[in-house]
Amino acid sequence: MNVTVEVVGEETSEVAVGDGGTYADLVRAVDLSPHEVTVLVDGRPVPEDQPVEVDRVKVLRLIKGG
Amino acid sequence: MTSSRLALADDARRSILSHAREGAAADPPAEVCGVLAGDSDARTVTAAHPVSNVADEPRVAYELDPEETVSIIEIVESAGDDAVGFYHSHPESDPVPSATDREQASWPGYVYLICSPDGGMTAHEWTGNEFHELTIAVE
Repeated sequence: MNVTVEVVGEETSEVAVGDGGTYADLVRAVDLSPHEVTVLVDGRPVPEDQPVEVDRVKVLRLIKGG
Repeated sequence: MTSSRLALADDARRSILSHAREGAAADPPAEVCGVLAGDSDARTVTAAHPVSNVADEPRVAYELDPEETVSIIEIVESAGDDAVGFYHSHPESDPVPSATDREQASWPGYVYLICSPDGGMTAHEWTGNEFHELTIAVE
């Protein structure tokens, strides 16, 4: 299915994901590393190893430092 | 964004400093953080929105709570403003980017402002490779 992936502060794109595809797969499809982001569905973080069950997600690049 | 100047509303400056002092007064001291809102093209910050620091070691690190961050950015954008960048505090060291700040910066073109509880502040744009210092003009 096609999923709308909005990278917060950047662009929104459509990503095709196969059966069993995970949120981490969506992140990699927009050239980001799953370790550097949080995926949110309806404003709530979701585990990235879970299969995609929605057609729209937001991806937030983590804002952190020391 | 090519200007080397960041216009910072005095209200926003006060709110960042007050938040930084609150973190510095905690026991143990903690870094605080938040979202800077305003006009990206004009590189103007008109408001600072606190966000919870969810880093494992908040005395020496910060990480904006993702859920709060997305919610605040939505509110800022729905009001017609932009997320211009982010701020955090260094409660026990100079307000300059640390090695960790450089390693973990991930928003090219955005402003990273650092505040110390004594009122010192610096602002830098993350180019994707390095921090480019901006002159802060309080307005």
